[in-house]
Amino acid sequence: MRPIMAIATTTVGEAIRRRVLLIILFIGVLLLSIIPSLSVLTARSEQSTMISTMYAVLRGTSALIAIILTIYMIPNEIERRTIYTILSKPVMRWQFLVGKFMGAVLALGLMIVLMSSVMVLLFYIFQQPSPERLLEVARQPFFYFLEMMLLAAVCIFFSTFTTPLVNFFLSIGIWGVGTVLSPLYSSIASNSGASPIMQSVAKFVTGAMPAFSNYDVKNPIINPGQVIENEQKYFIYIVLYAILYSAGLLVAGMVIFDKREV
Amino acid sequence: MRPTKSKLLGILAATFVGQMALQVGAIQDFWKKNYWSGQGFAESLSPDQTLLQLFGFREFLAGILWVRADSFFDEGNYDAVLPIIRLCTILDPKQIDIYATGMWHIAYNFTDEEQRSDRRYIPSALALGKEGSRQNPNTYELFFETGWIWYHKIDDDYHQSIKWFRQAQEREDMLPARRNLLANAFQRNNQVREGLEHYWKLYAETAADYEKQKDIYQLFQQKETLEQNLDTMIVRMVQRGWLAQERGDASQTVYDTTEPFDVGFTARVIVDEPKVIRVQGTWNVLPVGTRIRIIVRDADNPNFTLAAMDWDGQNEVVLDPERDATYLQDQGFVKNRRFNKRIDMSKDPTMYPFSRKSENFLVEFYYNPRSASLHVQDKFGWNGEGMTDKAFLRTDVRKDYEWVPGEKNGKYTDGWKLQERQTPPARIVYTSLKLSRDQILRKGDWIDKTPIVQTSNFDASRFSVTTEDIIDVPTLRSSAPRPGANPEKEQEAIQGAPGTTPR
Repeated sequence: MRPIMAIATTTVGEAIRRRVLLIILFIGVLLLSIIPSLSVLTARSEQSTMISTMYAVLRGTSALIAIILTIYMIPNEIERRTIYTILSKPVMRWQFLVGKFMGAVLALGLMIVLMSSVMVLLFYIFQQPSPERLLEVARQPFFYFLEMMLLAAVCIFFSTFTTPLVNFFLSIGIWGVGTVLSPLYSSIASNSGASPIMQSVAKFVTGAMPAFSNYDVKNPIINPGQVIENEQKYFIYIVLYAILYSAGLLVAGMVIFDKREV
Repeated sequence: MRPTKSKLLGILAATFVGQMALQVGAIQDFWKKNYWSGQGFAESLSPDQTLLQLFGFREFLAGILWVRADSFFDEGNYDAVLPIIRLCTILDPKQIDIYATGMWHIAYNFTDEEQRSDRRYIPSALALGKEGSRQNPNTYELFFETGWIWYHKIDDDYHQSIKWFRQAQEREDMLPARRNLLANAFQRNNQVREGLEHYWKLYAETAADYEKQKDIYQLFQQKETLEQNLDTMIVRMVQRGWLAQERGDASQTVYDTTEPFDVGFTARVIVDEPKVIRVQGTWNVLPVGTRIRIIVRDADNPNFTLAAMDWDGQNEVVLDPERDATYLQDQGFVKNRRFNKRIDMSKDPTMYPFSRKSENFLVEFYYNPRSASLHVQDKFGWNGEGMTDKAFLRTDVRKDYEWVPGEKNGKYTDGWKLQERQTPPARIVYTSLKLSRDQILRKGDWIDKTPIVQTSNFDASRFSVTTEDIIDVPTLRSSAPRPGANPEKEQEAIQGAPGTTPR
């Protein structure tokens, strides 16, 4: 466990020092801070517009950070040959991979916490909500964190066998498909014209691809008043899903990385 | 320790199967039911907006578009608002405000030069309400808004508003003041007993709440209002002879509605200019407050029926109304027992196309005592028992219906059934006058002749008076004549029609 923690800590330090990530973070915070001025444009849905826009910025920025942070992790180590120094120590390849992943997740967590704090603070200043409402608004970023953890796992998996550029487009593509997957599946499944084979294929694809949309649970926060039964159970399921899927991707990455010549 | 490849593959298979089981078995349907914001993909978006939509920023996009719609509202550009409303409801069907505003906008804001609504849009407004209530079943709002369109805008077929108000009542968040409206809807559908029972139910609930929380002034006010409503309703039930009718001894006493009053309805339509008509008629009731509904419509359009259209005919939101259909609805306000109104349809060819689809058009006159103001109903009764007309009283124009709720499934009531009520049918004054397309457009033989159609009992002499239509309301305080008034001449003019008895 010690080698994993050491690699994770080093990765967090590297992430914090990377200028490109800091610039994205800065732009994210900047965008968040101008959102309250948008709400004056809409008389009736002031709060809904403000929250949905803030979430959109938070999600978009986090995804960009997650992808850029992780796609370079392994290729850079190989290119700079620093991986030899690491692997010559009593560190196994799988430990290196897990350490990198954990470091990326920790760094992502830090950045999401920072952006969420700004978001919640702004929401509090401009809307003066009740403490319950404030907590409700602060809930969604946690699920974005889980979504980004999954996205980071996808990127790390691809980075074991592709170049950063290919990885960038692959990851963005997978994330895009993962966010529209449930609606797509639903459309096919509910389409009476679709053949049973198509429906089965749609079902399989939905089950096999990472469903990032599971973490998009913001609608009841944006439009309050909706009653959802057994929500806690659902939250437990999606946490488990993120852990299982990420673990699966890491294991698949380990299998590939173990065979790779560096 | 280095994990073996087979062990890794085993773990990989286990995690893959595990996540798939979770996703398909437990997560997917729950997410779709509770968190999915879209009903499908919104079309007509720009590429960047489509991209935002694809990446799950639907609510954000809906919010931004709604901001844009607000600015169109401010500019009065109502045509531009309509597609945006539809896009927003597709992108985020949980935004109740958009549905509520959209329904109001569609039903009320498309008007002609004289502020008459384009009623061809009403089925779309109702379809939007149906969709919104399906998407947001946990709040009363869209059930209430849909019921309100039936109650206030269509102002007819009150069994429909009852159905929607009843569904709104089942939602806990309904505002107390709005709960009263169901009692009014019951009364308008001649379900007087149900109206009274609803008031009693609300009163019992409010009184119980007030007993528990006496320091809440709002509860006291609600209780007082309900007491007054109950009081007024019971007095009316007695005075209008409704209770006596129920008991079966109405013939023993003279009630306000005893001896139905003959309203002496007559009507005439003159086509003054192409697409400009003057409607005139008589209504022998002196107190103000009567409005005769006037409808001009295609005679042969299957979507139109007697003084109405198939309001409930749309289940899908189609924002483009039947462009070649003509349907106008206005009201003739009765003053001094006459109504006289000029209706100009020439300035709005898109609303009143008088297309070749119909060779004939109907000008319909419709008076339903169920929609009448309360002081008129005090004489006419809830169902027009106190009203008659020698020539035009009809009991076949509006049948009496009610929706019977089906099985209750949690918060939902499924399988509502529409059934005819075994009660005296609605007593309505109705007639229609036919005009040909050539007549209404003043074409062919009618270029230099003025088309006039009228009921056989129409008495033109009642419209030859030159006296201004001044309504004299005598008061107890003063019987002094108005400056410059000639009461004898005015009275002579008012009583011009032979054989009528002013009330």
